[in-house]
Amino acid sequence: SVSHSQITRLYSRFTSLDKGENGTLSREDFQRIPELAINPLGDRIINAFFPEGEDQVNFRGFMRTLAHFRPIEDNEKSKDQDGPEPLNSRSNKLHFAFRLYDLDKDDKISRDELLQVLRMMVGVNISDEQLGSIADRTIQEADQDGDSAISFAEFVKV
Amino acid sequence: SVSSIVPESCLLIVVGLLVGGLIKGVGEEPPILKSNIFFLFLLPPIILDAGYFLPLRQFTENLGTILIFAVVGTLWNAFFLGGLMYAVCQLSGPSLNHIGLLANLLFGSIISAVDPVAVLAVFEEIHINELLHILVFGESLLNDAVTVVLYHLFEEFANFEQVTILDIILGFLSFFVVSLGGVFVGVIYGVIAAFTSRFTSHIRVIEPLFVFLYSYMAYLSAELFHLSGIMALIASGVVMRPYVEANISHKSHTTIKYFLKMWSSVSETLIFIFLGVSTVAGHHYWNWTFVISTLFFCLIARVLGVLVLTWFINKFRIVKLTPKDQFIIAYGGLRGAIAFSLCYLLDYKHFGMRDMFLTAIITVIFFTVFVQGMTIRPLVDLLAVKKKQETKRSINEEIHTQFLDHLLTGIEDICGHYGHHHWKDKLNRFNKKYVKKCLIAGERSKEPQLIAFYHKMEMKQAIELVESGGIGKIPSAVSTVSIQNINPKTLPVERVLPALSKDKEEEIRKILRNNLQKTRQRLRSYNRHTLVADPYEEAWNQMLLRRQKARQLEQKMNNYLTVPAHKLDSPTMSRARIGSDPLAYEPKADSENLPIITIDPASPQSPESVDLMNELPKGCGGLPPSPEEEDEEGLMMRVKEPSSPGTDDVFTPESNSPGNQRMQRCLSDPGPPPEPEEGEPFIPKGQ
Repeated sequence: SVSHSQITRLYSRFTSLDKGENGTLSREDFQRIPELAINPLGDRIINAFFPEGEDQVNFRGFMRTLAHFRPIEDNEKSKDQDGPEPLNSRSNKLHFAFRLYDLDKDDKISRDELLQVLRMMVGVNISDEQLGSIADRTIQEADQDGDSAISFAEFVKV
Repeated sequence: SVSSIVPESCLLIVVGLLVGGLIKGVGEEPPILKSNIFFLFLLPPIILDAGYFLPLRQFTENLGTILIFAVVGTLWNAFFLGGLMYAVCQLSGPSLNHIGLLANLLFGSIISAVDPVAVLAVFEEIHINELLHILVFGESLLNDAVTVVLYHLFEEFANFEQVTILDIILGFLSFFVVSLGGVFVGVIYGVIAAFTSRFTSHIRVIEPLFVFLYSYMAYLSAELFHLSGIMALIASGVVMRPYVEANISHKSHTTIKYFLKMWSSVSETLIFIFLGVSTVAGHHYWNWTFVISTLFFCLIARVLGVLVLTWFINKFRIVKLTPKDQFIIAYGGLRGAIAFSLCYLLDYKHFGMRDMFLTAIITVIFFTVFVQGMTIRPLVDLLAVKKKQETKRSINEEIHTQFLDHLLTGIEDICGHYGHHHWKDKLNRFNKKYVKKCLIAGERSKEPQLIAFYHKMEMKQAIELVESGGIGKIPSAVSTVSIQNINPKTLPVERVLPALSKDKEEEIRKILRNNLQKTRQRLRSYNRHTLVADPYEEAWNQMLLRRQKARQLEQKMNNYLTVPAHKLDSPTMSRARIGSDPLAYEPKADSENLPIITIDPASPQSPESVDLMNELPKGCGGLPPSPEEEDEEGLMMRVKEPSSPGTDDVFTPESNSPGNQRMQRCLSDPGPPPEPEEGEPFIPKGQ
């Protein structure tokens, strides 16, 4: 899994973020990171760390989410498909990204969800109609089964 | 066919050989590739073409790898080769004994550089996947700095009696000066070019000239100070490109593209032919030992270098380089005309064995270009190396790429790890905040990248649609805005492509007439009096809002198209047009595309009635809004509340009254005649 040095580094980062020093991170701790505040997807990323309905994340959860982004190790690639897929496999990474789009967790990115993400990335100067047409076009390009939404399979294909 | 087996560069060299042989046979002295012609005229177009169209994203992602290959790899090649050749010379007896270490090192440095011209020529044809392409190509571009430094260093040292440690250290430092200085010069010229292009909206015809001119000046200035001209050229192309493309017209962009391609093609052809001719013409001194061992050691040095460096680099890369990749990289290390010209520059006095060097270099060049160039394609197929995917970038890709970028930046920030994405994000922010404002004209500077990309795609699609004559067959799945955008665009494009057939024109006129008709009907019942009445104020404001939005949209679209300044004199238009009021809006020549609304000229108010000629989207009128608009295919103006904060940066909630006042003003006095201006971004008049 994750190497020892990586774990130590992440732990020191965890503790430096944890201002309340109670072994868990809350949302405010994340929001204190300045760059995250200006990142358009900041809020969503923060939410991804917290499991359903909880407000605190401990180190294990912290690590688990971050483990998605480790580079794929060579030996893991050759592992057979029997066991559960390693946490940082390509499809899991994509799934993570997909979940950031898909807020209502219906396994589809609907036009509205796409609009929301676009709005966050693009800022306030663009009119809704323009964004709407971009969203329409995006869905039109990617949508293969004609349901006017992007499913995970279609997302992966892009 | 021959061309599928033999790469073009080989054929050209053969042609050169034939021509040279012919000339010699006649008894004339064939022309040799003079170095200054090569460096001043033949090389820059190729490099500029490469730099301007460099796929920046892949380049920066692999920059570390490329730099290591370019710098360390070339150094290794030079010293390894030079050292070994020195040993060979010492060992081989009296004929070669006199060649000193420095001369050998110089020789090594000349021949060790991978040549961009040759690489381009061969790699273009085999369509290898982008990663490998950018690695080898990037390396060939960036190693110019190393080559320049080493060349001048050894040339100078050969004149010295003693080479001290200080000299070596200075030489090492000069590498940084040369490369960074070259880049710096390039960036400065790039910025100047971008800044110039901001003001060229009135002289579209010479826009391409600025690009070429400033780049060439960057090259010359760098070469003047013995800095790396190639790096300057590339830096200027890379820096100026995003801003220039945002500022210049579509036609200029096409011009630049085709001129660059044309010049670089011509240069490349000439270079290879000249190589062939010079081979026949030059004085040669063939020494079996020297030449064969050069060839041999070149190959070994390259392979060893790539292997060792890849092993080192793979520790830091996320996407590792497989042995197949390594083989292609090693095999793609072609030498070319730069090596030849550098050797030609050598002075006879100091380097008596210049001819021998020349012969050896030509042999190596021939070998790499012919043997390696010809066999690389079957080898690529044999090894089943991944080929390039010929897909156009879709809007999906663009959105998701940006999305993932933000995501990864966020994750990096959480980890506290100042990685790749962090710096890229910082650079983008800096770019957006300061640089874009200075270098891009008008409204475009605030346009997010996504929107710009989207507009480009829409426009491309519109043009394609017109060219294929498929005006009537607009796919229904395209959103309503797209439809609306495509339709009016057919008109300005029509002027650009006068070849549109008669019946297409008829179709366009019919469409417009229908649209005009509808709006006319709509407005019959509207007259000036209703403006003042309160119940209509709300609807009026909505209409203003929608007009504003439509305008903005239309302006942004039209910025890309070059529209001649004269008004379109189609009968429908001139009938519709009476006057205009620049107080409210500046009417533009291209605004006639969208249906024009006129107030009934027989209005009792004033003889010179002012009409609100503009691109009023259909469905706007001072009538009870909702039911009417719903069935209109207007510019998707779903009527909501007049403005919500943040959706429209022009109309703020307080603007309702000034807008209203403006309308009243404009109806009561006629404005001055309109001055159409081409391509000027619309700046809404003050509220």
